[in-house]
Amino acid sequence: MSERVDERDLLPPPPDGARDPVVTVASLTKRYGDLVAVDDLTFSLRSGTVTGFLGPNGAGKTTTLRVLLGLAEPSGGEALAFGHRYRELEQPARRIGAVLESSDFHPGRSGRDHLRTLALAARLPSSRVDDVLALVELEPAADRRVRTYSLGMRQRLGLAGALLGDPELLVLDEPANGLDPAGVHWLRRFLRRFAERGRTVLVSSHMLAEAAQTVDHVVIIDRGHRVASGRLEELTEHGRTLEDVFLGLTGTTP
Amino acid sequence: MRAELRAELLRQRSTRTALGLFGAMLGLVLLAVLLHGLLPAESLGETHTQLLVFGRGEFLGALFAALLGAMSITAEIRHGTIRSTFLVSPRRERVVVAKVAVSVLIGAGFGLAAGALGVGVGAAALGARGIDVRLDGGDYALLVFGAAGAAALWAGIGVGVGALVRNQVPALIGICAWLLFVEGLLAGDLVGLGTVGRFLPGAAAAAVSGQDPQLLLAPAEGFVLLASYAAAWALAGAIAMSRRDVG
Repeated sequence: MSERVDERDLLPPPPDGARDPVVTVASLTKRYGDLVAVDDLTFSLRSGTVTGFLGPNGAGKTTTLRVLLGLAEPSGGEALAFGHRYRELEQPARRIGAVLESSDFHPGRSGRDHLRTLALAARLPSSRVDDVLALVELEPAADRRVRTYSLGMRQRLGLAGALLGDPELLVLDEPANGLDPAGVHWLRRFLRRFAERGRTVLVSSHMLAEAAQTVDHVVIIDRGHRVASGRLEELTEHGRTLEDVFLGLTGTTP
Repeated sequence: MRAELRAELLRQRSTRTALGLFGAMLGLVLLAVLLHGLLPAESLGETHTQLLVFGRGEFLGALFAALLGAMSITAEIRHGTIRSTFLVSPRRERVVVAKVAVSVLIGAGFGLAAGALGVGVGAAALGARGIDVRLDGGDYALLVFGAAGAAALWAGIGVGVGALVRNQVPALIGICAWLLFVEGLLAGDLVGLGTVGRFLPGAAAAAVSGQDPQLLLAPAEGFVLLASYAAAWALAGAIAMSRRDVG
C-alpha cells in the first residue's frame, strides 16, 4: 500500500523563516551484524507537535531513539536534534529530556538522590529537583528507595528526570506501558499541556488506541522502514481508525 | 569536569554499595589476620612472616577497592542508569575519568582502613601469644599507607575492568579470580614465570606495602608499576565506553 503523506507536511512552517526542524532523521540506517534494525529512515518533527512514533515490536523504534539520543552510533545517515548530533549539544539536558526504560534506576537509591545526581551532572540548580518532584506529584515518596516504588511511580520518576532541564523536546519510549488508567490519563494531559507551550514530544508506542488520543502527528515504521507519516487527522480521514491504517500498512491485517 | 565529579561522588554516596563492601572487607581482614595468628610461634616470630600476615590488610583492601571501582560502572549498566548518566553527560570519557577519580579516593580510604586494621589486629594477636613484633615504624607506615596506595590504584584498575567487561558478575568474578588464584598460579613454579611474576599487578600491590622485599619490587617501583597498570586499564575503559553503543 502507498499511504505516504507528503514530506512537506512534516517540515516547519515557512513564515517563521529558516527555522531548523526540532528533529531531523535523514536516511538513518542502523545495522547490528547482519540484522538491519533501521533502514534508510527519514522524517522530521516541527515544534509544538506531539508525534506518535508507531510500529510493531522490533520495527526499529527504540533503535532510532537511541541513535537520536547519542547512545548508539548510526551505521549510515544521521539523526539530529536542533541541527546537532546529541553528543555535540552543549548542555543537552536543557534541550532534550528522554525516558527510554521505565526501570532505569538503582533500586537502593532514593528518587530524590537519583534526580540530584542528574541535576549535578547537568549543572542545573538543585531547586529543579524539587520543581520536577512536585510536577510529577512524587514529593511524598522522594526520600524512599526506588525499590519501594510502584511501576507508575517509576514512570513518573523517569519523567521527572527528563524534565529536570526544562527541555524543549521530550522523547519517550513506550511511556504508557504498565500504567493504570489514571496514570495514562495523567500522562496524556501532561503531554498535551507540554506541547501547547510550543514544545515538542516524540513518543513511541504500539498502543494505538492510546496513541490516537494523545498525538497529533504520526510516523509509522515497519521493519526499519517508514511506511507512513503525517497528521493524524489526514491519515485517519474517511472514517478509518488509526488501527485500520496501522494494520493495513504493517501487513499484519488478519 | 567538576560537574561529572560531583555527580559521581553523589552517585557512590547515595547507595549502600560502598558501605557494604567496606564492612565485608573489614570482616575479612579481621578473619584472615586472626587465622594467620594461629601459625606456629617460631614461624610467626620472623619479620618476613609478620609482614605477610599484617599485609593481609593490603591484599583485601586492594581486592575490595577493585570491586568497588568495577561496580561503579557495571552497576550502572546492570540497572540501566548508564542511559540517563550518558544523556546528561554525553562526554562519556569524562564520566569514566570521574568514576576513576572517585573510586581511587574511596579506594584509598578502603586501603587505609584495611591496612590499619590488619596491623592492629596482627599486633594484638601476636601480643596475646607473647610473640615479639619485629617490625619498625617504617614497616608500619608502609603497611598502612602502602595499603592505601595499592587499594587506590587497584580501584582504578577495577573501573577499567568494569568498563571493558560491562557485565557485572563476570567482571567481579574476574577480579576475584585474578587476585586470589590466577596471579599466584602464573607467578608460581607451576607456570614457571618465576621472577617475572613480581611485575604482575597483585605482586606490585604487595610490593607497595613493603612485603617480601627479597622477592618483590621496592615499594616505590611497585607503586609506579601499579600506577601504570591503573592508567592503562582506565584509558582502555574510557576508550571502550566512548565508542561502544549503550544497549
